[in-house]
Amino acid sequence: MNYARPTPALAIHDLQKSYGDLHALKGVTFGLHRGERLAFLGPNGAGKTTLIRCLAGLTKADHGEIFLSGRPFKSLESRQQIGFVPQEIALYADLTTRQNLEAFGRFHGLRRRKLRERLTWALQWTGLEDRADDLVGTFSGGMQRRVNLACGVMHEPDILLLDEPTVGVDPQSRQRIFTMLDELSTSGTSILLTTHHLDEAEERSDRIVILDQGKVVADGSIDELVEQSVGTQRLVRLRIDRPLSSPIREGVAAGAVSYGNSGEDEISTRIDDVSNHLPGLIELVRRRGYGIADVQVESPSLHHVFLHLTGYELRD
Amino acid sequence: MILTVLQISFRRLLHNRVELLLTFLVPIAFFSIFAVIFGGGLGRGTTPRIKVVAVDEMQSVVSRQVMSALREQESLRFVRENDADALQRDEAMELVRSGSATMAIVFRNDHDQLAAELMADASDQVAAQVVSALVNRSMMLSEAEYQVSQLTDSDQNDTEDSVDAVATGVPKDEPFGIEASLQRKVEVIDVMGEGKANPVVSMYASGIAVMFLLFGATGGGGALLEERENQTLDRLLSTQMSMDQLLLGKWFYMSSIGVLQVGVMFLWAQFVFNVDLLGHLDGFLMMTVVTALAASAFGLFLATLCKSRGQLNGLSVILILTMSALGGSMVPRYLMSDELQQYGLWTFNAWALDGYTKVFWRELPVDALAPQLAVLLTSGVVFLLAARVLAVRWETN
Repeated sequence: MNYARPTPALAIHDLQKSYGDLHALKGVTFGLHRGERLAFLGPNGAGKTTLIRCLAGLTKADHGEIFLSGRPFKSLESRQQIGFVPQEIALYADLTTRQNLEAFGRFHGLRRRKLRERLTWALQWTGLEDRADDLVGTFSGGMQRRVNLACGVMHEPDILLLDEPTVGVDPQSRQRIFTMLDELSTSGTSILLTTHHLDEAEERSDRIVILDQGKVVADGSIDELVEQSVGTQRLVRLRIDRPLSSPIREGVAAGAVSYGNSGEDEISTRIDDVSNHLPGLIELVRRRGYGIADVQVESPSLHHVFLHLTGYELRD
Repeated sequence: MILTVLQISFRRLLHNRVELLLTFLVPIAFFSIFAVIFGGGLGRGTTPRIKVVAVDEMQSVVSRQVMSALREQESLRFVRENDADALQRDEAMELVRSGSATMAIVFRNDHDQLAAELMADASDQVAAQVVSALVNRSMMLSEAEYQVSQLTDSDQNDTEDSVDAVATGVPKDEPFGIEASLQRKVEVIDVMGEGKANPVVSMYASGIAVMFLLFGATGGGGALLEERENQTLDRLLSTQMSMDQLLLGKWFYMSSIGVLQVGVMFLWAQFVFNVDLLGHLDGFLMMTVVTALAASAFGLFLATLCKSRGQLNGLSVILILTMSALGGSMVPRYLMSDELQQYGLWTFNAWALDGYTKVFWRELPVDALAPQLAVLLTSGVVFLLAARVLAVRWETN
C-alpha cells in the first residue's frame, strides 16, 4: 500500500506483535487520513487493544512500522501528536473536573496561558462548566466519559485513539459523545476508535477496518465493504395469505427457478435489481393464486458484512 | 435465609485467597514470630545477653572474686574483656552513653567495704534489674567466701550460722540481714535519663512512627497498582511523562507525607508527653527524612512486585508486622536473643530506631548517625532501583 500521496496522518505497515505463542497482530497495514473517522471492529481477541496500545506507545511491536504524518513513530516525541482515551474511566475520582483537566494538560506538557485556554475550551466542549469544581467521582457514567475524553485531547493531538469510548453509556450520553467527536473531526483531528456497536461504526465513521485473528480482513467505507463481501443483492421477503401447496416455479426445464417451500406462508429470495425484479416476482406469485400480505426488502448491513467476513457475531 | 447468607459468606471466603490468607495464615505467622522471640523457638538458649563493662577501683581480693564470678555469668557479655583493669570510670560511662554497653559496673571502696555503682542505660528497663541481682549475689557470695577463709577452726560453729544466713538470706541475729546490708552497697545510677522529662516515650514514638511509615508507604504504593488496574497508568504513560518521572514523583510524595506524619506525631509527643523534639530537631529531621525515603522506596518496590492491590495488602501486612516485630517497633530488641537481634538488623525498623535512640536518648551529635543514615539511604536507593526494574513490564507488555 502506498501512503506517499497525500501523506496520511497515520500509516501502519506490517505491524506484528506476539505474546509467547499467541500472535496478537499478524502484519496489520492501514492508513488514517487527516480528519478521518475510522472505526475498528473485531471480535474479542482480534488484536484491537494491542493495536491501540502500539499506537499509543504503550506496547512495542515486534515488527513493522508506524508513521505519523510521514515521520517514523518515536515513543516519547510522537506522544504529543497522539491522544489516548482508554476504555476505563482513567481519571482521579477524588479530584474535580478542573483539577483532572489541569493535571492531564500538564502531563501533556501544557503550561500557563496555553493550559488555561485549553481548560476553558475543554469545560465548554464537555458542557461541564457548571460542574468544573465538583469531584469527578460524584458524576454519572456519561459525564465521567466526557471528562475522560477531554483529558485525552487537552494537548490538541492530531490523532485521537479511543478504546470503546461509549461502553456502558446511555443512548443520550452516547449521542453527546459522538457530537463532541464530530466537532473534533471537523477541526481536523483524525479519530480511530474501537467499538462493539455496529450501528456506531456504521453511522459515525467514514471508514471501517475489520480485524480478525490479528489480521485486517476488510478496510473501506460501509458501501465498499458491502460490495466487497456480501455484494449488492437485497433480501426480499413476501408473506402470502396461505401456505404454499408447492414451490412456485418460474421458467421451464433446466432453467427454472423455484421460490418458497411447501407448507410455508413466506417466500424469501435474494435479488440484484430490486426496482426491476421485485414487480415481476410479485406478479408471478399473484398469477399462482396467492394474495400478498406483506413485502420486506432488507439491505445488507455491517452486521451481514461482519458475519460474512469473520464467520461469527461481533459479540462472540 | 440465614443459612443461605452463611453459605454465601463461606463460599465467598473460599474464593478470596487474600482474605483467606489474612484470616488464617497471618495470625499463625504472628503467633510464630512472637513465639520465636519470647518462647525461645529460634536461637534457643541464647537468652538476651546484657552488654556490660566493669571497672575495679577497689582492686581487693573480694572485688577480683566478684569480677571473676560475673565474667562467668552467661547472661552478661563483657564488651571490654581484656582491658578491664585499665578501664576508667569516665571511659566506662562514655561506653554506656554511646550505646556500646548497656551498663557499667564500677566497684569502689566504701569505708573499707566493697560497693558497686551500676551506671545504667535506662532504655533497657530489664538490664538494671538483672545486673543488680547478679552483682548483689556475686558480692554476697564472694564476701562470704572470703570471710569463711579468714576464720580459725574455733570459729567454725559460728561460721555455719553465717553460711546459713548467706544461703537463705535470713540471718538469725541481724534485723536487716546480710543481703539487706549488701543491697545498700549496690546503687543503680541512670546515666542516660538524667534531666530528661519523659525520655522513654521518644523510643516508643519512633517505634510506632517507623511502623506507620511502612504502612503509609505501601498504601501509597498501592495507589500505583490502582492506577494500573483502572488504566490511569496507561494514560499517564501515553503523555510526555516517563516511568522514571512517575516513580520519582510518587517517591517524593510518599516521603513528604511520611515526614509530615512522623513530624506531627512527634509534635504531639512534645506537647503531650514532653518529648524534647525542638531540642533535637537536626537529628530528628535527618533520621525522619532518610527513614521516610527508605520506607517509600520499599512501598514502591512491593507495589511493583505485586500484581494486584489485594496481593499487595496481604504481603505488606505480613512483611511490615514481621519487620516491626523483629526490628523493635513492637517489642524492644534488648528483650530478644542475640541471634534475633542480629536478624533484626535486616529490617528498616532496627536501623531507624537505633538512629532515633541516638538522637533522643543518647543525645549524640549528628555525625554519630552516619551508619544508620547510610544503611537506610542505601536500602532506599536499592529498593527504588528494584522498583524501576520491575516497572519495566508495565511499559512494554
